Amino acid sequence: MHRFKIAAAAACLALAACAAEVVRQPSELKPTADAAPRSFVLRDSVKYMLDSRYERVLRGYTQFVEVGSIAQGRVLRPTNAVMTVEGKHMHEAYAVVKDDRLIGFYLPVERSFSPLSQPVSLTLEERKTQ
Amino acid sequence: MKLLRLATIASTTALLAACASGPKLAEVKSSIPALKPSEGRIYFYRSNSMMGAALQPEIKLNGKVVGNSKPGGFFFVDAAPGPQEVMTSTEVEKKLTFTLGAGETRYVKTSIGFGLMVGRVYPELVDNAVGQKEMEDSSYTGQPLKR
Repeated sequence: MHRFKIAAAAACLALAACAAEVVRQPSELKPTADAAPRSFVLRDSVKYMLDSRYERVLRGYTQFVEVGSIAQGRVLRPTNAVMTVEGKHMHEAYAVVKDDRLIGFYLPVERSFSPLSQPVSLTLEERKTQ
Repeated sequence: MKLLRLATIASTTALLAACASGPKLAEVKSSIPALKPSEGRIYFYRSNSMMGAALQPEIKLNGKVVGNSKPGGFFFVDAAPGPQEVMTSTEVEKKLTFTLGAGETRYVKTSIGFGLMVGRVYPELVDNAVGQKEMEDSSYTGQPLKR
């Protein structure tokens, strides 16, 4: 019985230690054509859970600039904060937004879309350029 | 009892020796060269924690060794703009990917996590404000700087 407990604990540790790769699919970013791209500020902090079970918080007043779009939605790059997704490895990420909801991430190095199974609402205010 | 005391002293000495011992950031700040407009800069640092202090793996940037992850240490690398891949290896490989723009500065923190046999060192991209603040007490472990 004691051996079984040790084996079970070791198995749990092994599973916890072997995080899976971040789920992603190739995606082509169509850059925004605007000379002055739209920029936004997040009004309230938002907490969300990545599919890999890592938790993330987007702080209120995080600023974004719209860099383009992919098939899944608009792509917003944070300018005063860092966004990452994490599984076996960690990747810089931009927010993919559709209907005012964060539905996933665009990974600029991998040129891929990584979906968020549980999308969260974002309250974004557009910043007016002078 | 005497043996236990000796072992404690030896392990404490080893842990202290494992920490970075270069000049503090404030001492070298004025000697850090200005960033060339055609390049970006990446600061690598690790908090001064005793946990896993003996674990000091190499840090690779785009496949090339650029330094080691030392507790309480920091160094920087200037690189051509574009996609970057940071990798650390202990019992497993841990990678971080991010973009670097011309004239841009980014901060990569390495942290110790639990592994099956030994600890693991995780590279993490952090906000610039966080990186600047957390590096304040760090010691410089990079290439000698011109004064």
